[in-house]
Amino acid sequence: MEIVIKIFLGILGVYTLIGILFGVFFLIKAPKIDPLMADTKKKVRFLLFPGVAATWPFLIGKLFNSKTA
Amino acid sequence: MGLNYQLVLWNNHKKTYDKLIVLGMLLYIILFAVVTLVFNSETSIETLVIRAFGSLAIIMLHIILVIGPLARLNSAFLPILYNRRHLGVSMFIAAFIHGGFSMFQFHALGDVNPIYSIFISNMDYGSLTDFPFQVLGFLALLILFVMASTSHDFFLGNLSAKTWKRLHMMVYAAYALIIAHVFLGAFQQETSPFTIGILVFGFILVSSLHLITAFKEGHIDTAKTEEKEGWLKVCDISEIEEDRAKIFTVEKERIAIFKYDGKLSAIHNVCKHQGGPLGEGKIIDGCITCPWHGYQYLPANGQSPPPFTEKVATYELKLDGKTVYINPKAFEEGTEVNPCKI
Repeated sequence: MEIVIKIFLGILGVYTLIGILFGVFFLIKAPKIDPLMADTKKKVRFLLFPGVAATWPFLIGKLFNSKTA
Repeated sequence: MGLNYQLVLWNNHKKTYDKLIVLGMLLYIILFAVVTLVFNSETSIETLVIRAFGSLAIIMLHIILVIGPLARLNSAFLPILYNRRHLGVSMFIAAFIHGGFSMFQFHALGDVNPIYSIFISNMDYGSLTDFPFQVLGFLALLILFVMASTSHDFFLGNLSAKTWKRLHMMVYAAYALIIAHVFLGAFQQETSPFTIGILVFGFILVSSLHLITAFKEGHIDTAKTEEKEGWLKVCDISEIEEDRAKIFTVEKERIAIFKYDGKLSAIHNVCKHQGGPLGEGKIIDGCITCPWHGYQYLPANGQSPPPFTEKVATYELKLDGKTVYINPKAFEEGTEVNPCKI
């Protein structure tokens, strides 16, 4: 059981770390994810930071789509 | 509905509701503390905080879970529904304080990582009476965190309404984990009888209201109708209230048929914002207004008034005497359709 717990928490840790890094990227380059962020106050980015970090697998695709568009 | 994002979508009504939420939370915590200290003066401050905020979060979660069914059964509850998002975030804050204090008191003072400690301090995963119930609370808190942190229009737009809705339907998984967390905790006498009482009453209330609503909605979707030269009979015009709608199901799609200013118009029932039931809203300032968050659409073309860009499908209606008929073929989203004159 301990090994299952270690794997689960390891995955959770890596997921969180990538999420935080993606969140920091969002704080700096939010309009690359959503163009509406360009006209949005900067403090909104900080409010959205935890959610962006939590849902990064869903949002990271937006970044690649905007690059290929 | 906007061309940029706001920090918090506040208006005077929402500010009043938010003040009521904060006041209600404060009053509950004070009352809980007073009652606990009167009946059990040896309770430590940490235990008091853990129990007060834990039970508060459970009560708030039940309110959140019953708002939807109640608003569907009686429109008088709609104003509470408008503020469900803020109530959800407030509930997460209460749950976070409960979880944070629990983790600090039981897991943070050793030399093991506190989160790791939650999972390994009790390894009786095969036991019912000694199950490590705190793990379930931790997992529920993770779900509530994801939900609270994505309670913003940015995520609706960027995750897509479908994904966002699925993510937020995980509230039922969190609810199941919380029920197990409290009941399994009770075996180890870590949970007060008061909290268990709330949970039993709440579970009966939540499940009953959901079943009643499902029965009512199922009736709408399975209603039989007559067909006349490709048009489907909806109802007598007197069955639709002024500035309100009747919801009618065509080929598994719900349509809202509104009566206003001596006219009738039909649009798809699902709001583009969060999937709210437009047919349960009303006409305000000439626009169909979603009961959930106030998104608006023009009845004749299903488009949000400029500069907004949301649009829904429209349908053609006709009157034969006093009977309303609908053409089941949907027009493209935002298509102008001449309103049916009464």
